[in-house]
Amino acid sequence: MLAKFKTWLKTIIFYEILVGMNATLRHLLHYKPITLQYPHEKRTLPDSYRGMLSLLRYDDGIEKCVGCDLCEAACPSRVIKVISAEVPGEPTKRYAKEYYMDMTRCLFCGLCVQACPVDALGMTREYEWAVYDKRHLYLNKEQLLAIGDRAFPVREKRLELQHPNVAFFNVAFTHLPPKNS
Amino acid sequence: MVEVGVKLALSLTQIAVVMGVVLLTVMFLTLAERKVLGWMQDRMGPMEVGPYGILQPVADGLKLFFKEDIVPAGANKFLFSMAPLLALVPALIGFAVIPFGPDLTVEVFGVQFKPFVISDINVGILYILAFTSIGAYGIILGGWASNSKYSLLGGLRSAAQVISYELNVGLAIVGVLLLAGSLSLVKITEAQTGWFWNWFIFAPPFPQIFAFVVYVISAVAETNRLPFDLPEAESELVAGFFTEYSGMRFAFFFLAEYANMILVSCIAAALFLGGWNAPAPFLQFHGSLAHLLWLSATIWFAVKVYFFLFLFFWLRATLPRLRYDQLMRFGWKVMLPIALGNILITAIAAYLFPK
Repeated sequence: MLAKFKTWLKTIIFYEILVGMNATLRHLLHYKPITLQYPHEKRTLPDSYRGMLSLLRYDDGIEKCVGCDLCEAACPSRVIKVISAEVPGEPTKRYAKEYYMDMTRCLFCGLCVQACPVDALGMTREYEWAVYDKRHLYLNKEQLLAIGDRAFPVREKRLELQHPNVAFFNVAFTHLPPKNS
Repeated sequence: MVEVGVKLALSLTQIAVVMGVVLLTVMFLTLAERKVLGWMQDRMGPMEVGPYGILQPVADGLKLFFKEDIVPAGANKFLFSMAPLLALVPALIGFAVIPFGPDLTVEVFGVQFKPFVISDINVGILYILAFTSIGAYGIILGGWASNSKYSLLGGLRSAAQVISYELNVGLAIVGVLLLAGSLSLVKITEAQTGWFWNWFIFAPPFPQIFAFVVYVISAVAETNRLPFDLPEAESELVAGFFTEYSGMRFAFFFLAEYANMILVSCIAAALFLGGWNAPAPFLQFHGSLAHLLWLSATIWFAVKVYFFLFLFFWLRATLPRLRYDQLMRFGWKVMLPIALGNILITAIAAYLFPK
């Protein structure tokens, strides 16, 4: 009986609505917006952020890419197209004569970067790549190298000039086996 | 002849001032609503145009002004262009009888002139009710003339809703009219002078608190605001009756909605919360400052009106939209009996304890 009266009273005085209005008023008085005013302020990206792809160079300006096609094989979305050729005058060396990335299809998984045996691909922290024409997202080698140049100003030494272990195993730094101590 | 000219000039000036204030308030409200809603939802609201977005209404107005004016194919052109005016004019015309300040009479060039009410007619509240009903025509005709399903559905919903809730508005204020013994808003406000317990919401012999609640809820429903915004429910009907409107015609509907909000807030303040009267007599300018009474009185009126406008935003931020059958059941089965019972008890109380 008393419980019934209580629910009746709550209906009469709009108890639930008042509770809700109290909640909204509390948010108004203790105003703490979670909005980030995007173009004016940007959030700090996590360390492992996977942004725009780029091609890298060694510190003497030579492209790292050896045209092995492994990135093309690793790519799940068929973003990458590599046309490899011999380096003119050096029959033992190959390079990517043409290198295309169709960034409209890229899903930024980073598998091509992991697949690359010479660390020629890098993921930058760029993400503002909205364009007016989607053909502008079909990037060639020069564009990718330019992105790499501006995103990675510190370049690696040539493989043969690096530490002998690294040169011998010919693996990326990220995949170095842990040291036993 | 000179007298008529002076009268005309004074009236036109007064009308221009009131319209200017109302339209400025509408401008301010569009910004205030977005800001208050944003703050209540932990957002910022508009921030881009001007410092803290305060020039947003100007940008919105300019945008609407320069937009293409589209009349959909198959629309009834005459009614389509008529409907926004039919919605806007009744909303603005109601301000003619609202007393914004004390009932002073000033003599200008030998003409008696009341500066704070455009025209004190003896059926003021009836006049407002009549004109707000005409506003429903604008909505229905706008929905019908657009030649669009969504617009028609919005218009139909709006017709049913406005009619059923206007009834409750009309019945809710009858109690006040019984206690005040007049239909003139000036006289009703004057009957509430003195302390706040003379306001009709608390007034003896029978406080009109139930009528006040019924009035506020019905007013929200009548102005098609959330949680009763079924005529323009964007998740169901795109934008309801003004789906097909663009440019200035859309702006007229928008203006009409906000002007209606201000109008119902003014009526609520004048009928239930004592209009321009302060809660206590010493809170008005009095004694040696009595000639400044109009200043504090208009400020008190504005405070009450803005409280109601804030309540509109507050409800919008809090409550979800009602279902259509809930809306109708609530209007006819809950509000109507309360309003009728209030009339009965108030009539008996007013008869037993006459002033």
